[in-house]
Amino acid sequence: MTAEPKLHVGDVVVRLGDRLIVDGASLDLAAGKLTMLIGPNGAGKTTLMRALAGLVPAEGRIDIGGRPLAALTPRDRARRIAYLPQGHVFHWPMPVAAVVALGRYPYGDAFSPVTDADRRAVAKALAATGTEGFASRAVTTLSGGERARVALARALACEAPILLADEPTVSLDPRHQLVVMELLARAAHNGGAVLAIVHDLAMAARFADRIVIMDRGRLIADGAPRDVLTAERIAAVFGVEALMVDDATGRHPVLLRPI
Amino acid sequence: MTRAESSGLRLNLTLTALIIVLAFVSLMVGPAGLSPRQALEGLAGNGDPAAAIVVRDIRLPRTLLAILIGATFGFAGAALQGLLRNPLAEPALFGAPQAASVGASFVIAYGIAGATSFAVPVAGIVGALVSIGGLVAIAGRRASLSVTLLAGLALASLAGAATALILNLAPTPYAALEIAFWLLGSLEDRSMDHLWIAAPFFVASWALLALNVRAFRALTLGEDAAASLGVDVGRTRLMVVIGVALGVGAAVAVAGSIGFIGLVAPHLVRRAVHSDPARVCLPAALMGAALLTAADIAVRLVPANPNATAIEIKLGVVTAIIGVPFFLAMIFRERRLSDGASS
Repeated sequence: MTAEPKLHVGDVVVRLGDRLIVDGASLDLAAGKLTMLIGPNGAGKTTLMRALAGLVPAEGRIDIGGRPLAALTPRDRARRIAYLPQGHVFHWPMPVAAVVALGRYPYGDAFSPVTDADRRAVAKALAATGTEGFASRAVTTLSGGERARVALARALACEAPILLADEPTVSLDPRHQLVVMELLARAAHNGGAVLAIVHDLAMAARFADRIVIMDRGRLIADGAPRDVLTAERIAAVFGVEALMVDDATGRHPVLLRPI
Repeated sequence: MTRAESSGLRLNLTLTALIIVLAFVSLMVGPAGLSPRQALEGLAGNGDPAAAIVVRDIRLPRTLLAILIGATFGFAGAALQGLLRNPLAEPALFGAPQAASVGASFVIAYGIAGATSFAVPVAGIVGALVSIGGLVAIAGRRASLSVTLLAGLALASLAGAATALILNLAPTPYAALEIAFWLLGSLEDRSMDHLWIAAPFFVASWALLALNVRAFRALTLGEDAAASLGVDVGRTRLMVVIGVALGVGAAVAVAGSIGFIGLVAPHLVRRAVHSDPARVCLPAALMGAALLTAADIAVRLVPANPNATAIEIKLGVVTAIIGVPFFLAMIFRERRLSDGASS
């Protein structure tokens, strides 16, 4: 079954000042697929993702379900795209449940009461991320791993068909990295189009349905992990000598040394 | 109702009751002390005609102004803290009160009007509006927060220098003294005219801020996440800066500079609303009203030197004397938290 692409990106160019950050990126995100965007620091991954979320002006085509992103109201856009930025910032010591409920922001206004759908979405997001145990604690008192899961819960509570996650596993211990990866995979297999930026190539090889490699502003490879992640490409893009290993989890790279 | 909602509602009701009590005390207190009964009769206009004049023409305007100005400072402070996501933000940040001071000082210095006449607030409001226009022109419609803050700082410094220059060049020592006292902030001898000229600006300020209260909650996640949730961050910033400048500019134009209410009021109520930057706005406004009304009662109770020029201790002096130790305590608390985090 080939679902219509949820997010169509055609020849997108992003300039910040005079600098060309994203140089002609083309990409389709389909429902039900977890796509991972990898690449070295400064490749333009975050800028591309911010452009897809409508946060920086971009040239080229960005369509959602056939409609141009720029034609959507901010509220419509927010209902279709959930964006989880880097860093998991929380400025006020609000309770976790109130932070997760911010995911419902695009569904209400100043005068509309909290609906049952809102409550269900928040409860579901809390349960999925295992954060319901500290739902009433102030978010600023949590550990890094707990914050990362709360941030993801907030994005999941949007219940948007497209989820963009910028380094969702950063600062997590191994167990919680796996928890978050499984959550993203589940979000995709439940019908979402999920794009995540990650730096752990072995995790990407294992969990991604598809890997896109970005280097110096360009998307240079796009396909199944097995086809895209090769020792030659890892050497060329990341400057790292890698050994490809086949085992019960599939084929994944073991990183040996910088070149 | 969640716990934050019910504790917030309880707080709002308590503060409203407190404001009513303080307002009533404010009608009773002054050189001519009135009993509660005399104050009520004076307010209603029956009973002793002298009491009626004191209550309705002298104490009612200053009481209502204290409530409105205090509420404006409290709301403006909470809104700016929400916008900037920083508990140390305060309404003087963008230069509007300083610019209002320039306009008012100019009018007083050149003898165009006395310190309590109608022309002073008009000039103050014009000063505040010029500063808002300048801020938007310098920073640009879609400026970043840091550029807006720097532009505000530049305007505030310029306005401070301009006020100093006016004091410096004041034609008579009396004019300089009058400006100096006016700058200390007071609600003495204000009339209903002052209320009517400032009220539209207060209402406009509240409306602009209220439209953006919900965005403050999304901004707790940072500007990118808030924008991805559908908040127009640039428009929110513009509306809040203008709303704060309108309200605070008008307040300073009428009452002179009164500090620290905007900083202190949100802090006193933040815990009760579980740090929700949207829900804090209403109780912060009520707390501001209660604080300023209480301060304005205090200036009438503290005996000033009867031989000095000023009959009362100035309101701005009282709010600063209470506010500065509070501010220091907050800085020490922040320092302790950051020391704890880095060690």
